[in-house]
Amino acid sequence: MIAVRGIHKWFGPLHVLRGIDLEVTKGEVLVIVGPSGSGKSTLLRCINLLVQPDEGDVLIEGVKVNSPKIRPEWVRQQIGMVFQSFNLFTHLTALQNVSLGLTKVKKMPAQEAEKLARYELERVGLADKASSYPAQLSGGQQQRVAIARALALNPKVMLFDEPTSALDPEFIHEVLDVMVKLAEEGMTMIVVTHEMGFAKGVADQVIFMDAGQIVEAGTPAEVFGAPKTERLRSFISKILG
Amino acid sequence: MTNDKRGRILLPWPFVRRIVITAGIGVTVLAIVYFLGTLGLYDLGFVRRNSSAFLHGAEYTLSLIAIVIPVGFVAGFSFGWGRTSHRWLPRSVSTAYVEFFRSMPPLVLIVFAGLITILVVAKNPFLAARIEDVGGFAILMSLVALSLHSGSYQAEIIRAGINSVPAGQHDAAAAIGLTRGQTVRYVVLPQMFRISLPALGNEFASVIKDTSLLSVIGAVDLTFQGKNLASLTALQGDIGDLTLIWLVVAFIYLVMTLFVSRTLQGIERRYRVPGLEAAQL
Repeated sequence: MIAVRGIHKWFGPLHVLRGIDLEVTKGEVLVIVGPSGSGKSTLLRCINLLVQPDEGDVLIEGVKVNSPKIRPEWVRQQIGMVFQSFNLFTHLTALQNVSLGLTKVKKMPAQEAEKLARYELERVGLADKASSYPAQLSGGQQQRVAIARALALNPKVMLFDEPTSALDPEFIHEVLDVMVKLAEEGMTMIVVTHEMGFAKGVADQVIFMDAGQIVEAGTPAEVFGAPKTERLRSFISKILG
Repeated sequence: MTNDKRGRILLPWPFVRRIVITAGIGVTVLAIVYFLGTLGLYDLGFVRRNSSAFLHGAEYTLSLIAIVIPVGFVAGFSFGWGRTSHRWLPRSVSTAYVEFFRSMPPLVLIVFAGLITILVVAKNPFLAARIEDVGGFAILMSLVALSLHSGSYQAEIIRAGINSVPAGQHDAAAAIGLTRGQTVRYVVLPQMFRISLPALGNEFASVIKDTSLLSVIGAVDLTFQGKNLASLTALQGDIGDLTLIWLVVAFIYLVMTLFVSRTLQGIERRYRVPGLEAAQL
């Protein structure tokens, strides 16, 4: 479904990604863990071309999409993304946040878009908040609207960039619940998170990144249960401690 | 007629409420002027006898405002946008524009623009044959110069507004597949517009009063009429009438400025995002 081959990215002299390869098949959940600054976010942003990789290929269903022949807007339509800081459009209601992409990107008629947007809000349990503005919602509610906004475009894969890191502890669960439900429904997902419970319970694959490279990869049991490298062992002890 | 949640009657349109408040301020000022007149400080009949001069001045000033605000805004908006461009050329042109016009005293700009226009027309037979009213044309050019002066301030307001839209909003817009143009149209513009409104209102109020400077190059605006009446009155040596002239002129400027600033505040309220009030303070 989604594959990344030999991705390199430099920000000026900084070599942020040093040759990343990964593959996610349909319906699979990949969790990426690693210390901050290890390149996890940049990797996600390379996959939906918010950041252009300097070397390497991003493949969606076998098609190389980081190519001048393909419009990045078209690629991003196929990929939903959820950000750490929600990034809801502050001047639009929850409903308008979800329907904006439908009317402007998919050119859906307004009524149809509204209907679908309401359905997506219902899926994340926020049908009653349709006319609320982001500033009137809690962090957890905002993040669920952001998930609905991404889902509305019917993406082939969903990227989550530390979706619960900016949340107060009491709201983390409502967001994780939505993500677990999505995984159960068979959504293909790539998730950067430090939520070990989610990673152990939902992930099919786990990748540990450090300094722009994949240090270890495997099933959650392999990566968390039997870490092979010192770097991963010390990382696990830090996030569990 | 609509009612709010507590059942209070609301005027149908927020602007109406604001106009009522503005009118209240105007009436209060008038009442004070009138009261001072009844004390015998000045002759209120003087205003009636010279009402046509005040009216013509006000009318002229209104036409100046009708040009200076839109021209200044278009200039400010375009160059403000240019200031945030990723491309070198529009950015440097806009920066040069802002720095030049911001550094000029408006009076100097107006006199300079008027004089240079007259010079250019006089030295250029092609223009001289086509422009009948050189004086009027010079005033128009001075007005454009004043608009550009105001535009340089507005450009900075617009730039600050654009820059204050967080990077995350651009990311989110791109992530749902909006093009750059769509992102500007549906995400950046509506947000920067809300952020910039109060400062723009300030600048509009300021440039309205700056139009009075055009009287030095022969615009027959409100200030000119005031000066004209004052010089006629001064011959008779009546300080009370002199005071009254400037009270009336000040009052008319007050009404015009209030109308514009209140209208902008009305727009601000109309587009206020619920829940964001605290952040906008």
